[in-house]
Amino acid sequence: MHSDTRVIVLGAGPAGLATAGALRQRGLDCDVLERSDAVGSSWRNHYERLHLHTVKRFSTLPGHPWPSHVPTYPARAEVVQYLEDYATRFAIRPRFGVTVEHIARDGDRWRVRTDQGETRAREVVVATGYNRVPVEPAWPDRERFLGTVMHSRAYRHGRDWRGRDALVVGAGNSGAEIALDLWECGARVSLCVRSPVHVVPRDVLGLPAQVNSLFVMSRLPPRVADRLSLAMLDRVVGDLRPWGIARPAIGPVSQVLENKQIPLIDVGTVALIKQGKIAVVPGIERYTDGGVRCVDGRDVKADVVVLATGYRAGLAAFFDDPARYVDDRGDPRHHGPDGGGEGLHFLGYRNPLTGALHDIAREATAIADTIARRA
Amino acid sequence: MSELDHWHPVLLSRELSRSKPRAVTVAGRTLAVFRTTHGVAALDDACPHRGFPLHRGTVEHDALVCPYHGWRWSPDGRGVSPGNPRSKPCATAYECVERHGAVWLRRAGADTAFPYLDVGGHTPVGTAHTRVDAPIEVVLDNFIEVEHTGDVHTFLGYERARMAEVESETTVADDSVRVWNRGPQRPLPSPARRAFGIPREALFVDDWTTRFSPVHSVYEQYFVDARTGERAGDALRIAVFFTPVDDRRTDLAVFAYTQVDRSERPLVEALRLPAVMAFVRWEVSRDAKLLAHMADAPISLRHRALGRFDRALVASRKLLDRIYRGRTDAKLRVVE
Repeated sequence: MHSDTRVIVLGAGPAGLATAGALRQRGLDCDVLERSDAVGSSWRNHYERLHLHTVKRFSTLPGHPWPSHVPTYPARAEVVQYLEDYATRFAIRPRFGVTVEHIARDGDRWRVRTDQGETRAREVVVATGYNRVPVEPAWPDRERFLGTVMHSRAYRHGRDWRGRDALVVGAGNSGAEIALDLWECGARVSLCVRSPVHVVPRDVLGLPAQVNSLFVMSRLPPRVADRLSLAMLDRVVGDLRPWGIARPAIGPVSQVLENKQIPLIDVGTVALIKQGKIAVVPGIERYTDGGVRCVDGRDVKADVVVLATGYRAGLAAFFDDPARYVDDRGDPRHHGPDGGGEGLHFLGYRNPLTGALHDIAREATAIADTIARRA
Repeated sequence: MSELDHWHPVLLSRELSRSKPRAVTVAGRTLAVFRTTHGVAALDDACPHRGFPLHRGTVEHDALVCPYHGWRWSPDGRGVSPGNPRSKPCATAYECVERHGAVWLRRAGADTAFPYLDVGGHTPVGTAHTRVDAPIEVVLDNFIEVEHTGDVHTFLGYERARMAEVESETTVADDSVRVWNRGPQRPLPSPARRAFGIPREALFVDDWTTRFSPVHSVYEQYFVDARTGERAGDALRIAVFFTPVDDRRTDLAVFAYTQVDRSERPLVEALRLPAVMAFVRWEVSRDAKLLAHMADAPISLRHRALGRFDRALVASRKLLDRIYRGRTDAKLRVVE
């Protein structure tokens, strides 16, 4: 029995658990190594009001449906519970508190060095998450600013900022929803939108954007899908330029395929922007004593600046020759089975319009099949 | 802090047309609510000039025009008088927003939080707006105990004959009162039972939390199979907001949601969800009809013979006075 060294899965988030579960369903064991002290640590630490942006029936991990009482879009706590149940169901017992440092080919195996020592395995599944390293832009005069600066990963809720001025930087999903949360909590909110962005409502006439992507957009040529979705967005969102949000030249579907940039899935922020409740400001030039100066010269007051400026997977640090495995952004060059060469698999670094969990479930199954064939 | 410092849902979105302003009354104060191209707006209803009711005016170029002398009022309250071009009259404006299918307002400059309904993952079922001819305390009392459901309600709730079996727990926190109830679901005709996936032997759980900025309760209502102990069937999450019109009348705004994924069976749900909303409306209208007989009942709970289901009432009265009305004095009107 060499099962303890045959397959190593790095990470016990949705991607790592899905792989371990899919392997278990094929009668295979694996070692799951996890940096934190629990499964689904990202989901545990996201801001409180976060929900999955995809519907639960198309967001299941292999072999375990969502309970019927969970709503269409599961809440953060429900996702955590689901991941815990998943680990229990497939008897996945990760080794917690183990941080991966280095991965290298070693004969017919892969050598994984962690802060707890070295292991070798025929198969290594890298599922450390798209969000290992927060991106924090540095603008000049940070030391002058008297308020608080935090990355969105540290944001839980806006209750401390009632009656205060808040600036959220970045018009991704978290930036937009954190702005909404701060407004609901009674803060005066500005949202810094630095570049053009497509805005897609999470639901259009009761139809989830994900379902639309799965059954319509992903089955059409990108050019047709772009035109169709733009025609739809014209009707339901309209021109947001009067409020400071421009549309990219490239269509929303092509943008995902070519630039790996997903549209902003709106859960209510745009309605507040249109009603003048959340002010949109352009890019930031530097900090001031009481806030920031924007590139157009206007000063924005802020007691808190939330940097919803995203993450990097930070995979390059694992390899001696990163260019072979990882692109300029730090994402894997090839996703899925044997993406890094025979026995090295990458999973959970994509966010397609059809849903990250949906993609993870498919790829985890493919990876488990590949591993099972070689077992 | 007073009533109008909190966000109130004063109209459903569908009740406010693009062109015609409407009058609403909150805590004895009447306002004119109207739509502009940028959203919704509200001003004190009496025109600052001669007191004409502004809601009888028209909206022109994003301003409310008084039909008496043509004075024009912007959403922020700034006025223009055609006959007195140099004067700068000012009306009291309120902060307005349209969310969850309703028009909400509060005093301009207040910094209270917008109520969090926790329905970000749910499917909207519908909204309702009902006037009840009874004071807010009396109306709230009715909505935070289940003992009345046996006699007043038809679908949801518990039978009078088995009310003694219903478990009820009340938890009082600094700013909220939570009540959890579980008991045998009353018998329903089997088509209704099947349509909502309710097991033959079901326990009905009604679990709500009442908060007071503004006064509202969010109900989580679901079924448990009595034989397996597992949850089964549809779940509803219903938010009910209690807005005092004046000392004798209360407006209810109801926002109903379900956990059901509408896109899974669009045609079935297109028929079923409106039926669910019709049930909800029916039950609320039964409450309203009954409560109208309580309009003149004394508000105070003192000397009342209260039962085990009434624990939340006393605690809620205190929080209503302290949080919603901002009364900090030790002598609370309603509990006295």
